[in-house]
Amino acid sequence: MENLKFVMVGHVDHGKSTLIGRLLYDTDSLPDGRIEEIKEICKALGKELEFAYVMDHLQEERDQGITIDTAQIFFRTKKRQYTIIDAPGHVEFVKNMITGASQAEAAILIVDVEEGVKEQTRRHAYILSLLGLEQVIVVMNKMDLVGYKKEKYEGVKKELLKFLESINIKPKHIIPISAKKGDFIARKTSKLSWFKGPCFLEALDDFKTKESPKEKPLRFPVQDIYSFDKRIIAGRVEGGIISSGDRIKVLPSEEETVVKSIEEYMKEGVKKAEAGKSTGIVTEDKVFVDRGFVITHTKDLPIVTDTVKAHVIWMDKKPFDKNERLLFKCATQEVMCSIDKIEKVIDSSTLEVIGKDADTIRNREVADIVIKTQKPVVVENFNKIQELGRFVLQRKDTCAGGIITNINNINKV
Amino acid sequence: MIIILAIDALEYEKVEEFGCNNLKQESYGKTDISEFSQPRTMVLWSSFMTGKNKEKEILAKGDEAMWSTKIELKHAFFSHFKNPVILDLPGFSYDQKVHEQSRQLLKKFFAEENEESKEKIRKQYNQNAFEHHNKIKKEFLAAIGQKHELVLGYFSIADVIGHLNFSNRIMMKMIYKELDEIASLIRQKGKVLVLSDHGMKQLGRFGDHSDYGFWSTNFEASLKKPKITDFYELILKLSKD
Repeated sequence: MENLKFVMVGHVDHGKSTLIGRLLYDTDSLPDGRIEEIKEICKALGKELEFAYVMDHLQEERDQGITIDTAQIFFRTKKRQYTIIDAPGHVEFVKNMITGASQAEAAILIVDVEEGVKEQTRRHAYILSLLGLEQVIVVMNKMDLVGYKKEKYEGVKKELLKFLESINIKPKHIIPISAKKGDFIARKTSKLSWFKGPCFLEALDDFKTKESPKEKPLRFPVQDIYSFDKRIIAGRVEGGIISSGDRIKVLPSEEETVVKSIEEYMKEGVKKAEAGKSTGIVTEDKVFVDRGFVITHTKDLPIVTDTVKAHVIWMDKKPFDKNERLLFKCATQEVMCSIDKIEKVIDSSTLEVIGKDADTIRNREVADIVIKTQKPVVVENFNKIQELGRFVLQRKDTCAGGIITNINNINKV
Repeated sequence: MIIILAIDALEYEKVEEFGCNNLKQESYGKTDISEFSQPRTMVLWSSFMTGKNKEKEILAKGDEAMWSTKIELKHAFFSHFKNPVILDLPGFSYDQKVHEQSRQLLKKFFAEENEESKEKIRKQYNQNAFEHHNKIKKEFLAAIGQKHELVLGYFSIADVIGHLNFSNRIMMKMIYKELDEIASLIRQKGKVLVLSDHGMKQLGRFGDHSDYGFWSTNFEASLKKPKITDFYELILKLSKD
């Protein structure tokens, strides 16, 4: 069954947990037992069922190691299975997106219609834009608190759309809902009869799954070299397909050779490995190759450069100081770098330009920068092949994440 | 109006963990109850209302009889207020019948060996606690809506439910959020003190008293780690302001 991963973002009190709880409940995706207990306690306290506690139940399962996956929640509709990437905070979300730990194909932006657009709403929307997430649904939650009034929905929608347009996000749907009451989640209700669009689950089914990376040009970042009776180059195919007999190029050395064989543990006669597969190859010639190198076909090549222009979001309380040297990590490449220029620093909530040709970037600020790496790196425009277009900057821990934005302005080496 | 939300076994760490910002109010912290040999409910609330360490006096009554302690009004700070409402406070207006029933069910639970019967007792015990909580909540909120100089409501649910269910994180969170909601309803109604006698720590799947309490105020009180007896003077001072 087809699977689609999406992330849910928005202000911390705007009802993410309640919506996730409601989704799991309405799609019958909850294990028996605990929801009954939550119902019982709510009833004993004279309250309606609080769906947000479903998230606590999931957290408890994680703490006890019951669920296999630690950061993802699953449910299904008739059309496909969904994975909600649970991002406790936007820093974790950005880190996961950029490091590739959990790649969302779509996003839900949740807004409390009573409170309206908040700073965190704008900040999160900006992050979606930064990460190139084009498929977005906005849900206007807590319609029950405003008497399901169309005017209130329209007012917040107008304000939000103005901001989203300025950051190039065009939401596919803007749906009024009440996660608490179940309006327009899995069913359309008469309280919102003035809204003629789909309910939330219908809108989700409208999303398109990501194009398979096997259709893309070959990108095989090298993880390690093993010398047994054969010399095996190991890595994960991030784009395209690698087959025995293919003519390949090793970057940045630019040496060319031919794939002699594809090697998989305890498997004979494997002829190819597609995107997403971790595999090993043996080459006809003994070319110079090391961890961090990228193997491609001989056409449609990535860029080899020591100068990278990028958008970064700073995620460390300690600000960046212009004289500092950092570790640049992109796919399996790790190389020391400096930031040659901070062209522009932006407040991710107000989109206000805080500084030009700046010397520092502070926590949660977004900046356009020029990075100079100590050695050439193999990179790509983020929109083309994300795995070579995103990177993290590291001190002891990750302090910033970024995407390579404008390949045309990069000096090729 | 001075409002005291007296919560048995409200645990500082849980208030933090569950993000109960209404319970935390403007200033909050732990109380120092180290002068007492053990964190005992009747001893602590009696000491609170009189401003004196009542441990020796209460313990002298014995384990059973101490639950029927009734401090005279003239010895408690309430006597300085006109028409005070003091709901269910141990040592003063405690509903002995209801709380005795809880203690009996607790004993019965631990004495019972059959798991199915244990579960039935646990359900009955929890149900009684919720029913009593709803009754006190209704009376407390109604009193705040009237003209009183002082309203004190004692809520035992975190303690009673915690003793048998403290490892049940969801249940405890729901109770803390319920108490947080009560705090949100009273925050604008006067000078509010939230106070617990002691907190609670996990002991297997159960809960046992921890050796500090919780306090918070919606006004600047300049308290660091107050003793439970310090509140007597603080409240009297408030009444004069």
